[in-house]
Amino acid sequence: MSLLWLMRRLLLIAYTMIVVSVVVFAITEALPADAATMILGQNATPAALAALRARLGLDAPVWLQYWRWVWPALHGNFGISMRTNLPVAPAMLAALSRSLMLAAAAILLMLLIAVPLGLAAALGRSGPIDLIAGLVSYLGVSLPEFVTATMLLILFADRLGWLPATGYVSPARHLVDGVRHLVLPVVTVALVMVAHVVRMLRSETIDVMASDYIRAAHLKGLPPRVVLFRHALRNALLPVITVVALDVGYVLGGIIVVEQIFAIPGIGRALIVAIQSRDLPSIQAGALMMAGTYAVVNLLSDIAYALLDKRIRYE
Amino acid sequence: MSEAWQRLVRSRHGALGLILLFPVVLAVLAGPLLAPHNADAISFAARLHPPSARFWLGTDEFGRDILSRILVGARASVAVAVTATLLGTISGGLLGTLSAYLGGMADEAIMRTIDAMMAIPALLLALLVLSSLGKGMFDASLAIAIAFAPGMARITRSVALATRQQDYVNAAIARGESAGWIVLREMGPNVIAPLVVESTIRVAFAVMLVATLGFLGLGAQPPAPDWGLMIAEARQYLHQAPWMIVAPGAAIALTAVGFNLLGDGLRDALNPRVG
Amino acid sequence: MSAVLEIENYSLDYATAAGNLHVLDQVSLAIAPGEVLGLVGESGSGKSSLAAAIMRLLPTNAREQGGAIRLGGENLRSLDQPRLRAIRGRRIAMVFQDPATSLNPTLPLGRQLSEVMECHLGLARGPARTEALALLRRVEITDPEAIFHRFPHEVSGGEKQRVVIATALACHPELVLLDEPTTALDVLTGARILDLLSRLRTEFSMSGLYISHDLSLVSRFADRVAVIRRGRIVEEQPAPTIFRAPLEPYTRQLADAVPRPERRLVTDAAGENELLGLTGLSVRHGRPVLLPNRVKIAVEAVSFAIREREIFGMIGESGSGKSSLARALAGILPFRGEVRFVGRSIARPAEMDRAYRRAVQIVFQNPDSSLNPRHRVAQILARPLRLFGATPAEIPRLLEDVHLPASHARRFPHELSGGEKQRVAIARAFAARPRLLICDEITASLDVSVQSRVIELLLALRRTHGTAYLFITHDLNLLRQIAHRVAVMYRGRLVDLQYTAALGGTDVHAYTRDLITASPAPVSG
Repeated sequence: MSLLWLMRRLLLIAYTMIVVSVVVFAITEALPADAATMILGQNATPAALAALRARLGLDAPVWLQYWRWVWPALHGNFGISMRTNLPVAPAMLAALSRSLMLAAAAILLMLLIAVPLGLAAALGRSGPIDLIAGLVSYLGVSLPEFVTATMLLILFADRLGWLPATGYVSPARHLVDGVRHLVLPVVTVALVMVAHVVRMLRSETIDVMASDYIRAAHLKGLPPRVVLFRHALRNALLPVITVVALDVGYVLGGIIVVEQIFAIPGIGRALIVAIQSRDLPSIQAGALMMAGTYAVVNLLSDIAYALLDKRIRYE
Repeated sequence: MSEAWQRLVRSRHGALGLILLFPVVLAVLAGPLLAPHNADAISFAARLHPPSARFWLGTDEFGRDILSRILVGARASVAVAVTATLLGTISGGLLGTLSAYLGGMADEAIMRTIDAMMAIPALLLALLVLSSLGKGMFDASLAIAIAFAPGMARITRSVALATRQQDYVNAAIARGESAGWIVLREMGPNVIAPLVVESTIRVAFAVMLVATLGFLGLGAQPPAPDWGLMIAEARQYLHQAPWMIVAPGAAIALTAVGFNLLGDGLRDALNPRVG
Repeated sequence: MSAVLEIENYSLDYATAAGNLHVLDQVSLAIAPGEVLGLVGESGSGKSSLAAAIMRLLPTNAREQGGAIRLGGENLRSLDQPRLRAIRGRRIAMVFQDPATSLNPTLPLGRQLSEVMECHLGLARGPARTEALALLRRVEITDPEAIFHRFPHEVSGGEKQRVVIATALACHPELVLLDEPTTALDVLTGARILDLLSRLRTEFSMSGLYISHDLSLVSRFADRVAVIRRGRIVEEQPAPTIFRAPLEPYTRQLADAVPRPERRLVTDAAGENELLGLTGLSVRHGRPVLLPNRVKIAVEAVSFAIREREIFGMIGESGSGKSSLARALAGILPFRGEVRFVGRSIARPAEMDRAYRRAVQIVFQNPDSSLNPRHRVAQILARPLRLFGATPAEIPRLLEDVHLPASHARRFPHELSGGEKQRVAIARAFAARPRLLICDEITASLDVSVQSRVIELLLALRRTHGTAYLFITHDLNLLRQIAHRVAVMYRGRLVDLQYTAALGGTDVHAYTRDLITASPAPVSG
C-alpha cells in the first residue's frame, strides 16, 4: 500500500462527496416541485411563493444556490432546520452517533452468527447445518426490515413480553435498559447481513478448501485444525471485509426503517421526519452524512484488506 | 431456449422458485377474479375477525377480507417491482455498456461517478426521489429504477469487459466483423445471461423496496390494498390482530424468496458449459 | 531388498451420475529404495488418481475396488487419519505441478516450509527456521534469508518450485511423488528445476514416483518407466529401453508423438516471394489513465518477413511478446510500425481490409475461449464462410477437412473434446481459405498424441492449400520438426532468426543456445 494509493482513495472520497452533494441538491431543490412549493404546499399563492423564494435565495442561478449551500456545509454548517429553527449539524451528528452505535452492534452480532454458521455450512456441506444456513440466507434476503421488525415485535414484545417494544434509552446512562431496547433493532438489522455473509463465506470457504494449497497443506500431514486455522481461515475470511463494507449501504437503508419502527432517535428517523416535514437542510445534511459514512467505511475496509492481504499491491 | 427452460425446471432452486411464484403469478393475472370477497368492501360487523372458514386470513379494522386484499394487491406490488427493475436494468445496462465501450478516461469518469452514487443507500435515494416526485405507484417504480441503475451499470460493465476479453470476440475482430455484429451476435447472448440472473434477483429486492415505501407512507396511498401499506395500517392492531401483519408479510416473503430462488436457478440454467 | 512402495492389484472407481467410472484397473507397481519410477500417461489416464490414492486424499466419490498400497510393507489403506497424517509429509512427500497454486498466497514462504518440520520432527520455531534456511540453500536459493520472509507472489515461479521441493524434502521422506514438477514452468526454468532434482536425487538418495505426460522427459529422469492408459499399466521397462524399443503399440504411439528435431515432417522448401513483412513493429499494452506510466511495452521494433508457403516458427517464454505480435498481425491489437502484405503497406489495423483479414487467419491457444459457448459448430463455421464469399453448404466439407464427422455441426463447443474444439477452430480459420495462418500455441493445452494429430492435420492442409504458417510455440523440438525458419523472442524483442538447419550451428544467439540446451532431443533410437 503506497502513499499514492491512499492519496488517490482520499481524492475519490472527495469526488464521491461532490457527486452525492450534487445529486442530493438536484433532487431536493432543482426538481419541478421546488423548495418553496414543498414548504408551502401545492395551494400556496404565487405571491407567497415568490416571497419565500426570494427569502431562500431561490431566484439566484442554480450553481450559485448550490455554492451557497455547499460552502458553509464544508465548514460544518448545514443551515437552520425549517422544523425546529435550530442548527441542523449538531442535531444530525448526535442522531448519526446513535445510528452508528446501532450499526456497529448489528455488525458485531452479525459476525458472531454468520462466521461460525458460514464456516460450519461449508465444512459440513449438504449436511443439516448447511440446510439451516441456506434457509437463513434465503429468508434473510427476502424479508424486508419492516416485516422482520414487526414480527419480532409481535413475538418478543407483545406475546412473550421479554423485551420493550419501542423507544430508546442511552446505554451510556442505563446500561441494562439501554441494551434491552436495542436488542430487537440490532437483530433486525443484522439478519439481512447474516444472509449475505453466510452465503458468501460458505462459497468462499468451499473454494478455498478445494484449492491446491489446502490439498498441499493436508499432504504435509498437518493436523486438520492447523490446516483450517492457519491456511484456510484467513483466505476465506478476507473477502468478508469487502462484503461487510458494501453491506453498510444496506445497513444504512435498513436503519431508516428500523429506527422508524422502534422509535430510535437516529439519523434514519431524523431523515424520515425531515422528509415528512419537508425540512430541506436536514434532508440534505442527513443524506450527505449517510453517504459519507458509507464512503469512509469502504475506505477503511480497503485499507484493512490491503494490510491483511499481501498479494494486493496498490498503485 | 427450451433447453434452458428444461435445465431450469430440473434444477432444485429453479423448480422451487417456480413453484413458489406460481400462486404469485396467478394472483397478478387473476387476483380480483380469485378474491373470495370484495377487497374494498367495508363491514363494521366483520371488524378484526381472526382467520376462519369465511375469512381464511381474517379481516382488518374495517372488516375487509385480508386474503382478497392480498390477492388484489399482488398486481400492483409485483408490477411496480418488475417495471422498476426493467427500467433500472435497461438504463443501467446502457450506461454500463457505453462506459465499457468508450473506455479510457470516459470509462473512468463514468465508473467513479457510479461508485459515488452507490454511496447513497438505495432506500434513501428512493425516498429522496419520491419526496420530490410525489407519492404514487409510478413514481415509486421510477424512484426504485433510479436507485437500481448504478448497480446494474457496474455489473453490465464488468460482464461486458470480461466477455470482450474472450478470444471468440477477438476472432470476430480479426475477421473484420462490424461493431454491431460483434456486440449483438457474439457478445450479446453472453452478456445478457448474467444480467437476466441479476435482474431476477433484483425483482425480489424491488418487491421489498416497494413494500417498504408503502410501509413508510411514500408509496401506495390508502385505501389501496398494497402489502406494505397493509402492514403499516395493521401496526396499531398488533396486539389484537397479529394476522393482519403476518399475512401480507408472508406474501412479501413468498414473492421475494421465489424470485431469489428463480434467479439462482437461472444462473445454473443459463450457463452454457453445464450440460 | 524390499520395495519402498508397492502397489498391488489396486483398482479404483469414481461414482458418477452415469454409473461407476473405472479409473484404475488392477494396477501393480513397485519402487525400490533409491529408485525413481516414471509414470507416463495422457490426461484421463488415471495417473493423478493413482497419486491421490497413494497420498490417501481421494475425492468423496472415489470407490476403491480392492488391492493394496504398501509403504515399507505397511498397507496405507488400512491406516486411520491420525496415522496417515504422521506419514504424509514425513515419509511420503509430494511436489506439485503448479507452485503458483500449491503455495498458500497469504503465508510467508519460510513459514510454509518450517511448519512441516515443526509438525513432524517436533522442532521449535527457532531450530525449524535454521533448518529451513539450510534447506533453502540446498535447493540453491541464492538469498534464503530474504526468501524466507517473502510471500509467494513476490518471488519467481522457479523460486516458488524450489521452496515446494525443499518442503517435500524437509523430513527426508522415504518416497517423493513428483507430479509434473516442471510442466507449469517456462522451458529454461523447468530445465533448471529438473537439473536440481537430479542433483538432489543423489544427495538425498531419493526414491520417487515421477508422474508426467512427457515420455521423453521421464525416460531421461527415471530409472524405470511405466505407461498408463485408461487406468491400466500397459508397459513397464527400464527407461532407456522404453523409448528406444517400446513393445506395446500404445507406447510406440506415445514415443512417436514426441517431437524429435531430427525427424523432419516438412521436406518441401518455402516459396521465394515475401507474403507478409513487418518493419519496426511495436505493440503497447494498457492505456494511459491519469498516470501515463502504466503503459507496458509488449513488442518492441520487430522486423521480419514470412515467405509464401513458409512455416515460420516463433519461440519464446510466456511474456516474451509472441502472442501480442500474433494479435497485432491479426488486426486485434493496435500497433506501430509497418506491415506489408504481398507488397501492400499497412500502417494501422484500420487499413487491414477484408482481403487482408481473409488472407490472414488466426487460431488461438485456448479453444474454450475462442469458440463462442452459445453458438453451435454450424453457426461458428457459417459466419466466416458467408463473410468470405462461400455458403454454409460447405460446412460438411470443412468438417471433413479437419477429420470431424459432419454430425458435429449440430453440437455446442462444450460437447466436444479439447482436440475436437481445436479442429473446429482450425476449420473456422480455413473457411476463409487463408494464405497465412497464425497458430498461437494451438497445441499447448493438448495431449502429445492429440498434438501430433493436429500437426499432421495442419501439414496436410498446407499441402492442399499452400498456406503459410506463423507457428508460435514454446516447444523448440516441435519447431525443429516443421519450421523452415525459427524466430526467437525475448522480452518483446526478436533476438534471433535462424534457418532451422542452422540452429545447431555456432552462429546463434546465447539465449537461443540456452533454449536448445533446455530442450534436449529425446533419447533416440
